[in-house]
Amino acid sequence: MNDQLELNDIQGIIIRGYSNLPAAHFLLLGMQDPAAVKQWLSLMAKDITPGDRDPGESAAHIAFTFDGLKALGLNADALESFSLEFEDGMTGKHKQFFLGDFAESAPERWTWGGPNTADIHILLMLYAKDADVLSRNKNTVLETISRYGLHEVQVLDTTVLYKQKEHFGFHDGISQPTIKGLKRADDKENIIEAGEFILGYKNEYGQYTPRPTVPAQADAANLLTPMPQGSAHDLGRNGTYLVFRQLAQDVPLFWKFMARTTENVNGNNDEKEMIKLASKIVGRWPNGAPLVLSPEDDGGKPESNENHFDYRQSDPEGLKCPFAAHIRRSNPKDSLDTDRATSIAIAKRHRLLRRGRSYGPPLTEKLNPLDCLKGEETNVERGLYFISINADIGRQFEFVQNGWINNPKFKGLYEERDPLVANHQNPQDSSHTGTFCIHHNGLRTRITGIPEFVKVKGGAYFFIPGLRALRYLANVTT
Amino acid sequence: MVLYISEGKQPELTNLLQQIVDNDVETNGIVPFKQIKSIHFARFIALGKSIDVHGQEVASRLVLTTNYDMPLENHIQEMVRVAGPGLWRIFSLCQNFSSGNYNADMLERFLLSQNIPSETFYVGVGYRSVQQIHNENLLRKAINEFADGQRALLQNEPAQAARQRIINFVRSRPDLKWADSPEPGPSRAFTISRYAKLIGIIALLIIFSPIILPFVIIWMLIMLVFEITELQAPNPVTKDQIRALVARETQLVQAQFSALGNIKPGSFRLITMKFLLQSTNFLAPYIFTKGKLSGIPTVHFARWLLVEEGRQMLFLSNYDGNSENYLRDFINIAAKQLTLLFCLAQGYPKTWLMVFGGAKDAENFMAWARYRQVITNVWYSANKEVSVMNIFQNSKIRCGLYGEMTETEAQKWISII
Repeated sequence: MNDQLELNDIQGIIIRGYSNLPAAHFLLLGMQDPAAVKQWLSLMAKDITPGDRDPGESAAHIAFTFDGLKALGLNADALESFSLEFEDGMTGKHKQFFLGDFAESAPERWTWGGPNTADIHILLMLYAKDADVLSRNKNTVLETISRYGLHEVQVLDTTVLYKQKEHFGFHDGISQPTIKGLKRADDKENIIEAGEFILGYKNEYGQYTPRPTVPAQADAANLLTPMPQGSAHDLGRNGTYLVFRQLAQDVPLFWKFMARTTENVNGNNDEKEMIKLASKIVGRWPNGAPLVLSPEDDGGKPESNENHFDYRQSDPEGLKCPFAAHIRRSNPKDSLDTDRATSIAIAKRHRLLRRGRSYGPPLTEKLNPLDCLKGEETNVERGLYFISINADIGRQFEFVQNGWINNPKFKGLYEERDPLVANHQNPQDSSHTGTFCIHHNGLRTRITGIPEFVKVKGGAYFFIPGLRALRYLANVTT
Repeated sequence: MVLYISEGKQPELTNLLQQIVDNDVETNGIVPFKQIKSIHFARFIALGKSIDVHGQEVASRLVLTTNYDMPLENHIQEMVRVAGPGLWRIFSLCQNFSSGNYNADMLERFLLSQNIPSETFYVGVGYRSVQQIHNENLLRKAINEFADGQRALLQNEPAQAARQRIINFVRSRPDLKWADSPEPGPSRAFTISRYAKLIGIIALLIIFSPIILPFVIIWMLIMLVFEITELQAPNPVTKDQIRALVARETQLVQAQFSALGNIKPGSFRLITMKFLLQSTNFLAPYIFTKGKLSGIPTVHFARWLLVEEGRQMLFLSNYDGNSENYLRDFINIAAKQLTLLFCLAQGYPKTWLMVFGGAKDAENFMAWARYRQVITNVWYSANKEVSVMNIFQNSKIRCGLYGEMTETEAQKWISII
């Protein structure tokens, strides 16, 4: 099979993160008239931005839930050929246990995508260079959809934060895998086979990730390419799976906890220690500089996009960046408990392409830690739309979430989950708060009583089809 | 042990086993596992009817396995003492078991007589007893709490002084009395005979290598012909099968894996299989000493068992994490070594010379493993909150309580608390 990326058939959001299109809306839609929806899809297909075009002003992308594909009337064999994780979604009993969505993060309490909220069939992602263009495009869509058998379940608005930070005030979006075949320069360790992120290409096992197909007779018009083996047609090619989770961030809680834990003997705030603790938890300083490279301070740069570092040589005992830190466990690079080459090979098989955006107003404009600490607390919700792209939800997103982020035994630890984003409310947990150790030469400093700074508010798995597959879906016959 | 289930009794047996789970595997009235102190891990599997490679039906069976503290006789006596009547009820639904009234002596004799030796048995937790693992985890917790309370002091004094302070604390606690002295290790004679055995075998191999080598080469060539000519059997695993399997993984730290495979036909393969499993069994205690099974750091116990005169193989293991993670470790860390032990099972991905290929074909390997995995009806773990790495670290912490240490050694020891 041809392994040259077919950029003109791949949706552009997989290829680029659109930093030039800072304004974005995510529209969650439900369908009540599949026949009309298919007409709409035919119209919409022309507006979906392909990966070979660098959009100047705006971009649009579309993805479907399993329920959405079913509602469209996709052939039963085709539905069965989608992955188990996509079919079962994010909210079953076992999935709740596996992903650690308990208490305030329980699917029953979600504002969308949960068992008690309206069905979601389609995700429409709109990006634009500014709010005006975005709002114009959104209004056009919203005016149109009701005529085509669709209704709006929820519109998710995004926020652009100061200097590429996230709400806690950390420079974000630094660690991002580079898709092989895009001819972008990067460290070898960070260039990942296209099949990890796009279906129809070789993955890090040198194999093709299982992908959905349709029986040949269900594609009489030959809109899809035939599979290399067998008679089925390839519905997955150039498409992939998209994981969407709305993660609310409690910024006052975060900085108050850091301040309280590090206050000096007189009960006064120690700003330096407060920021250092938060940085130990993240694994980077607020400006993005990795602790492995600058363990004592942030190096003084306004921002750092540094990704070129290892753990094994530079910090084998976790004295600079703790084993439990967020970045060291979400992408452990060479620090897993195997030989170096094996560790890197394993890490490469569990990467995620991140396309998240922040939402809600920032607590303070520039998100400096001290300002955040003093910032006025209100009931407004803010956080991150965690959006990640992976070809195998089970092996990538779910594995990282369960095996690394939420696993208290990661890398020989005892009771330390990810101190930044993990959940401690599993009924079996002996303590419902987190623990985090900062190692020194000699006795560690153990921090206990860590609350959840991040709570899940909604989410779903989507299939983001290639453009040929989208046209097929628009013409699917029931 | 593996017993044939009496005709038509499978539903009743499955129900009975489910009652154990529904009424808390630790404290239920049928087999209250928590009271059987010699058990590390235990499981019951009610295997439905299966088909062997020749297409012949194999009747449904009940499997009971325990990972226990030696000796076997004491373990079985304890099982009978604590759960005799419950076990009697369960076995009554199996063939060749007395249908009469409960009789403890008879049950004990039955259990002893039914014990099947494993072809390969891997122990990831060393020679530690259930109690030792439990105690050392308590010790580590107590030291941690003490260290948290005295942190400023311990961090600001020389490591040797800090260590002494911790030792004094442990000595002051009556409930940690057992930690005053180290766990007795294996005797000197045992260690010597253990290594003498290994050296003896190696010497024999070297002496007879002129005869063995050509033999091995011919053997491998025959195997290669088999490998080239045979077709891989399909593994039509369904989503529902996987759903049913993973839904039973509900523990925070550990999980289990049970699989039933068919051995490919012919005595050539069976002899090879037996040889590979038994040599691994012999070598495992020498080469997998640090809690790692071929580099995989999460396996507490693993067992390979040939049943039905070698037509089928049972694979049973207890490990940290979840099955997805565990199977991925097989592929990522130990593909060659584990391929050697599974390559003669029907449906295993195609191999070359029994180590190449195989698990490297990740998709096929996952499909095979899931297709052959069976539901474990009852599963029990005594020390369910510790990982293999925790167990080793806990022992290291305890060992640091004894003897002299330099300042550097003391600092290193304190840093692992």
